[in-house]
Amino acid sequence: MKVTLNWLKDFVDIDISPEALAKLLTNSGNEVEEIVYQDKYLKNVVVGKILEITKHPNAEKLDICQVDIGSKITQIVTAAKNIKVNDLVPVSLAGANLANGIHIENSKLRGVDSFGMFCSIEELGVTDYDGEKDGIMILDSDAKVGQDISEALCMNDVIFDINVTANRPDCMSIIGIAREISALLNKPLKQQLLNYDTCANDDVSNYVSVEVKNDTLCPRYMATAIKDVKIQKSPKWLRTRLVSVGIKPINNIVDITNYVLVEYGQPMHAFDQKYLDGDKIIVRTGKKGESIKVLNQNTYDVDENMLCICDEKKPVVIAGIIGGLNSCVSDDTTTAVLESACFERASIRRTSRKIGVRTDSTARFEKGVDIGSPELGMQRALNLVYTLKAGTIVNGIIDTVKEKPKNKHLCFSLSRIFKLLGITVESQKVLSILNNLGLESKIDGDILKCEVPVYRTDIENDADIAEEIIRMYGYEVYDKFNNLPLYNATVTVGEHDRVLLLERKLKYALCDYGFYETVNFSICSDDVKQKLLIDEQSTLYNMIKIANPISEDLGYLRTTMANAILSTASKNISRKNNSFKLFEAGRVYLPKELPLKELPNEVNYMSFVSVNANDDFFTFKGIIENLLRQFDLNYALNYSNLCYMHPGISADIVNLQNNEVIGTFGQIHPQVAKNFDLPTKTYYAEINIDKLVVLKEKGHSVKMLSKYPAVDRDLAIICDENITIEQILQSVKKSCGNLYYGAKVFDIYRNINIGENKKSVAFSFKLQSYEKTLTDEEINQTVNKILKDLKYKIGAQLR
Amino acid sequence: MKEQINSFLKKAQKELNECKSLKDLNELKVKFLGKQGELTSFLKAMKDVPKEEKPQMGQLINNARNTIEQRINDLQNIFEKQELLNKLQNEKIDITEPSKGIEKGELHPLYKVFDKLIDCCVEMGFKVITGPEVEYDYYNFEALNVPKDHPARDMQDTFFVNDNILLRSQTSSVQVRAMQNLKPPFKIVSPGRTYRADSDATHSPVFHQFEGLVVDENISMIDLKSMLTKLLSMLFGENTKIRFRPSYFPFTEPSVEVDATCPSCGGKGCNLCKGTGFMELLGAGMVNPKVLEMSGIDSKKYTGFAFGPGVDRLAMVVNKIPDLRMMFENDIKFLEQLK
Repeated sequence: MKVTLNWLKDFVDIDISPEALAKLLTNSGNEVEEIVYQDKYLKNVVVGKILEITKHPNAEKLDICQVDIGSKITQIVTAAKNIKVNDLVPVSLAGANLANGIHIENSKLRGVDSFGMFCSIEELGVTDYDGEKDGIMILDSDAKVGQDISEALCMNDVIFDINVTANRPDCMSIIGIAREISALLNKPLKQQLLNYDTCANDDVSNYVSVEVKNDTLCPRYMATAIKDVKIQKSPKWLRTRLVSVGIKPINNIVDITNYVLVEYGQPMHAFDQKYLDGDKIIVRTGKKGESIKVLNQNTYDVDENMLCICDEKKPVVIAGIIGGLNSCVSDDTTTAVLESACFERASIRRTSRKIGVRTDSTARFEKGVDIGSPELGMQRALNLVYTLKAGTIVNGIIDTVKEKPKNKHLCFSLSRIFKLLGITVESQKVLSILNNLGLESKIDGDILKCEVPVYRTDIENDADIAEEIIRMYGYEVYDKFNNLPLYNATVTVGEHDRVLLLERKLKYALCDYGFYETVNFSICSDDVKQKLLIDEQSTLYNMIKIANPISEDLGYLRTTMANAILSTASKNISRKNNSFKLFEAGRVYLPKELPLKELPNEVNYMSFVSVNANDDFFTFKGIIENLLRQFDLNYALNYSNLCYMHPGISADIVNLQNNEVIGTFGQIHPQVAKNFDLPTKTYYAEINIDKLVVLKEKGHSVKMLSKYPAVDRDLAIICDENITIEQILQSVKKSCGNLYYGAKVFDIYRNINIGENKKSVAFSFKLQSYEKTLTDEEINQTVNKILKDLKYKIGAQLR
Repeated sequence: MKEQINSFLKKAQKELNECKSLKDLNELKVKFLGKQGELTSFLKAMKDVPKEEKPQMGQLINNARNTIEQRINDLQNIFEKQELLNKLQNEKIDITEPSKGIEKGELHPLYKVFDKLIDCCVEMGFKVITGPEVEYDYYNFEALNVPKDHPARDMQDTFFVNDNILLRSQTSSVQVRAMQNLKPPFKIVSPGRTYRADSDATHSPVFHQFEGLVVDENISMIDLKSMLTKLLSMLFGENTKIRFRPSYFPFTEPSVEVDATCPSCGGKGCNLCKGTGFMELLGAGMVNPKVLEMSGIDSKKYTGFAFGPGVDRLAMVVNKIPDLRMMFENDIKFLEQLK
């Protein structure tokens, strides 16, 4: 919201610098985002009168002008063609820095001295100008020779761009900000005399009547008529003010409505009375089939949820948003009807969103225009009509409000206010702050009684008053407090979230294996399904769609972790990172049904991927084994049929307690590798954290260590390829009986010399007794039994 | 014989002085002290020494032996030390050769900050809770004093699934769930992903918040300040100071923006903080009594404060990350820098 210093000064005396004012406003909750000095590019530019124009002796396109700049007569060489003797023009002198970046110095042009330059509107940064836009700006005859150009153009104001918070719709106006300044500077608001004359014997009822059919959506509607309207250009001071806050001047009547919008925060509308069928304004919601062509040249269908201002036959305005083309004030308007109303903010916001139109009016209505505002706005508008002599105001103002708005009388508790703030403010100070803000207050013991003006819709409870006090008292008061953290709080026991804690443990472990953590988007594109070979039968197929995505690429909630991390891997490869390991902890979102009726299951997963020549299925198997070691979990590895995994080089981790799949790991499906531009040997794993977090920690029961020495032996056998290592080791364990201490495979060897579909498996095992030192004979017996059993069970031969 | 012994001793000492290595020393040891050695020959000659001179002579020989032995032992120590030194010198390796074993990976900067915040808050007695990211409008907005079509909804562009279900735009939704389930007094923090329909150099549609809420009988703005000072000091260093600026959030009143002294210049003003000495880091405030009441908490008895930093921003400030987007691109060259 833009306000100007001079405009504010109409309402309150300001005797501090614009910077100091901005700081005060910011520190009390109205953040000033920018200060613009209108004359920023107008320094050292003055009004000059051209006295004489002569040809440049050495240059055909240049003229030499003698110019009266008040203090003296100076010489300027120019190439301008649109000037003549006695013209008043802007003259930039040495030292001027113009809006288009030109810096002015005294110079010689083809040997002739030139002590400045004539300026165009572009060079001055002027936007509101009716004259010829090309060439030098020719000033109106009321400009005074030697006068600063900023004064001559009424461009000596300072503009503040203020970020008004959503709870303070009353500050969306000059008067609102002026009230804040009045409180901050402890200076009274200047009384505004909003007087005007009316035509006593011509009543508004002769021109228009108003019927509000929905007073929930339109709690107040005021209207009156102006006859003998003289549509013309507004005076310069008014136009300049509108321009300075970013509003384009149109004509006196429209400019008046806009002026009131800025000054009092009351959006207004002016109708051409002759286009109101039945001389009637009906405020009602739209009907099926109705549409309206509006000022932006578009036509919108209106419906029963949109509030419209209608005449007897048709909608003429989409209430609070935009006026119809057919009924607006134009050059041939002779009688205008002025509207000053308030509409329910939610309805305006909904309609504005729906049709996609947002105007200065909408911006105010959707934040909330209070019920007292239309009256003040109407008075100011009529006062302007009167002072600008824009027409004759008829007698009477229609007002549909049932009950005149009254200030609220509220009681608050001082002790609760101070409890919130943590500080005590002396009563006198509390009263002066609140009274300055227009909240007439009294203190009676702990009770603070306030009369809250109608425009302060935000003030309801102790906390609201606490904020009013502290923002005026100054938050710097807290700078001096250095208490122990939570000194006044009850002692509570801190507690981690179990899922996050488990994730953290797994993350540290993965980091130790060389994995880097990534953070990926949990929203994705629909084509993920094709890339990951997910078919319609899969539970991963049903992704939740976002109704208003920023792009189709980010239109769905993921049902699998795979896409994000494989995409990140792919992106890294495209950036010439050739070897890396990545992981991500995140959620997938599995809807119970689509379209979504209740919240989906959000499942926590850890996913990791390796693009690294040293890694294979068994590297991942080792990592998984180590990650799962901490849990009281009996699991089996089964070949996985997860669609994006290689069916022969991947495994599901199955909890044998309940047969649930805890996770999957292995090589990704070759087609998926291709779809993501990843190497074929890309390894991926996903683990369901929610299924791990419910598991108990593994318990231990430690056995005594044997006093007798252990014996190590190695054996190598040849067996069929389809015999698994697990079968071999199980057999060995059983053969050893109670002498078994441990066994592991240390080499697997395949060669045509061994035989087709055969492999050599070398393993070592350790034997130990609790009762005695084993003799050679006992050891040999065990070895023989191992070999005999292996031959018998799996047809293995000693190599 | 006496002279012989003395001259032998002199000669031996001279030769030992000239000895240069352990090998030479061993040879000399055999030569002087060995079974066939010179000293032994003196002992052998003792049988010819008159009886009364024997003790004196014996004494002389023993002294000579002791002197030589002592000298040899000393030299042996010196030579052995020298030899060890030479050996160590020769075994010296180039310690700048590359290390062996798996190179460690690293946590993402975002989660490092998350973990630090969580640990600090748990130490202060906070319970960590999480909540759904796909959330009912009620928990994300309505129960936080933002009814449908409230102007405060414009403060954030929200992703909707339908009229009733959305992607949470703030972790404050977890606050509401906590307030409805927990009995005061309590302290909770809720870390997590949040979503807004916003994507540019400083906004990501998926981002991260760390919401904190304390509800207790005697909680004020001062507790908010002291708690946040501790939290931000933990991240940015002991001397971090914070300040409040007025702001507006529908669920807190009074609401404040919290600035901390710039971790780069300590408040003097630098490029990072654009000369202000402060960094705008988070929003906070006292929980609006209306919000407490909506969740069934007696606002006359209890007050509360809430705070909600964007963790992406904190991670950027802590690690001086120049562009938000780097955080989500996960280029390994970026991640490696944060080891």
